[in-house]
Amino acid sequence: MQITEALKIIRQYLSVDLPLSQVRLVTGFNPLHLQTFLQAYLQQRLSTRRVVVSTDVFGDMTGALARIHPSLLDMGAIALEWQDLDPRLGFRQLGGWGYKELADIVTDARAMLGTIRESLADLPEGFHLALSLPTLDLPPIFYTPSWQLCEAEISLRQAVDEFAFWASGRPDIRLVGPHRRQIDAISSQVFDLRADLTAGLPYAIDHADKLAQSFARLLVPSLPKKGLITDLDETLWAGIAGEVGPSAVSWDLDSKTQLHGLYQQLLRALSDQGVLIAVASKNDPELVEAVFQRNDIVLPRDLIFPVEAHWNAKSESVTRILETWNVHADSVVFVDDSPSELAEVKAAHPEMECLRFDGQDHANVYSLLFQLRDMFAKQTITHEDTLRRESLRSGSIFREAVRSPIVSQENFLRDAEAKIAFDFTAIKNPRTLELVNKANQFNLNGNRYSEAEWRDSFSGSSAFVVNAIYRDKYGPLGVIAMLAGQVSQTEMTVKTWVMSCRAFGRRIEYQCLKTILDRFSVREITFEFSPTTRNGYMREYLTSFLGKQPDGPFSISRAAFLDKCPTLYHEVEVSHE
Amino acid sequence: MNDLRQRLAQCFLLVFPDLEASLVYSASSSSVAAWDSMAAIILANVIEEEFRVKLDYDVLPELVSFDLILDYLNTEHLKTNHGTS
Repeated sequence: MQITEALKIIRQYLSVDLPLSQVRLVTGFNPLHLQTFLQAYLQQRLSTRRVVVSTDVFGDMTGALARIHPSLLDMGAIALEWQDLDPRLGFRQLGGWGYKELADIVTDARAMLGTIRESLADLPEGFHLALSLPTLDLPPIFYTPSWQLCEAEISLRQAVDEFAFWASGRPDIRLVGPHRRQIDAISSQVFDLRADLTAGLPYAIDHADKLAQSFARLLVPSLPKKGLITDLDETLWAGIAGEVGPSAVSWDLDSKTQLHGLYQQLLRALSDQGVLIAVASKNDPELVEAVFQRNDIVLPRDLIFPVEAHWNAKSESVTRILETWNVHADSVVFVDDSPSELAEVKAAHPEMECLRFDGQDHANVYSLLFQLRDMFAKQTITHEDTLRRESLRSGSIFREAVRSPIVSQENFLRDAEAKIAFDFTAIKNPRTLELVNKANQFNLNGNRYSEAEWRDSFSGSSAFVVNAIYRDKYGPLGVIAMLAGQVSQTEMTVKTWVMSCRAFGRRIEYQCLKTILDRFSVREITFEFSPTTRNGYMREYLTSFLGKQPDGPFSISRAAFLDKCPTLYHEVEVSHE
Repeated sequence: MNDLRQRLAQCFLLVFPDLEASLVYSASSSSVAAWDSMAAIILANVIEEEFRVKLDYDVLPELVSFDLILDYLNTEHLKTNHGTS
């Protein structure tokens, strides 16, 4: 991004009446361009808010940290540089370089890192910070040549590493990684000595741009993709199974096809973290199964669900996979070696990310591996992530049973041995907010929340947040639904209500309403419903109570709910403080 | 020349959003309250991007009005035909 573009983005929002997102940028140097770029990147990611990035006086890192008031801010970013640890590690002061100073510099740097650590530890829980460690080269303070690593430099870097290790363990601090494509500290585009000396701007514009982008990505992360659909021949493995046979396709060093093995290895890692993996291949299904029976397969067959192997169009396979997963195309990545297959799927599903795997191009695959890792990256792996694939399998059993003309839906639901645990302390569970910000189809109004907004909205004494944890004889689904709202002695307003698509068809939504009605003994519930382009499933459900499609907030009486509520077979457990 | 003036005016309006368009051509650091040392650097960077030139930081303190910047661009940079974007 150029400064001109950044200013244009900022200007677009200057006179727009939107809720503010207040962000504090803390630097020991003049943050001019970093501030501009950070505001622009955050503004791009928070288009429903007006972002304001404020700064403090520069040259006083500890003072600036002490003056962070989380109650007035939504988030913060700290760009730490060597000169903040000791001014002698910069170029704007003449305190002395050389071997006589080294021990003292290391001691001072350690002490300063300790002070910064104390300041960060004092910040309240829930205040999100992005932190970058020194990105610039150390000045020529050492007596050894610059191509040699000396003890003093190791000591300095060790002090920073120890500080970083501590910070990485803090739930609210996210560290900028020294990613090769993001921060290239060796590049001459990083440090601008002239700007540093004349205006206190050590960062070259290009570097300020990239660091600001990293901050924005950490503070307002993109939603990770949910699933990956892969081709098989010349993608998951090298060779065409139908031509060379199942035993001759390969993915190893000896066959010079290691790129395919690395791809399998990454998909296995993604599957382990809860990413859905499916296959869409024009292939003989028996040959496909034969390949997956091989002992040396890196991505085992049981990690893939479903497998669409036949000779019909790939877009048809992809459509069926999306139905089975019950996810939208924009949450899914399709990988294939064939440009024409990619184009065919893209034409049918324009919102899907379609990426090429070119097994002859090492640079392509190397880049693809990182690209996929970033697309599916998460802050934490929850219990629900590890359950997702199995719950989809059981979900498909449910859907097939519901559609089946020979299986009674009532008998099937009654015999499922379903248990739902309702937890009224759910505001403390990070999975609750994750669900609110991910669910689309069964979502009362599509409202998304930052962590600060979430806390502010639902931590009062009249607020309630409850989530539902489901399991049946087909396996656990984990936290699959949540409701949040306000309640008084006579009235209840549901402001947020979402349910995972994995839980559809089990009458959990009815049990949710019944449970909150029982818990709060109110006669009526008001729903802050708002139609979105994606919440048709919710709209359909609510229509069953109203007799017409809702187009905004509405109320349902206890009597009306009980009149429409079908028989519920769940065993219910309720916990609260 | 007119095109150059207009492009420079756009740079000013981007950096100083509160500046009335009719006052751009007479703008100076004494007439525009927001024109401080930091704004001068941002203005210089925006001009560099717009005209694809590299401004001499030592000269920046002297470029304190629209006309002076326009003259500077004409004499120091655009005469070498770097200024078409």
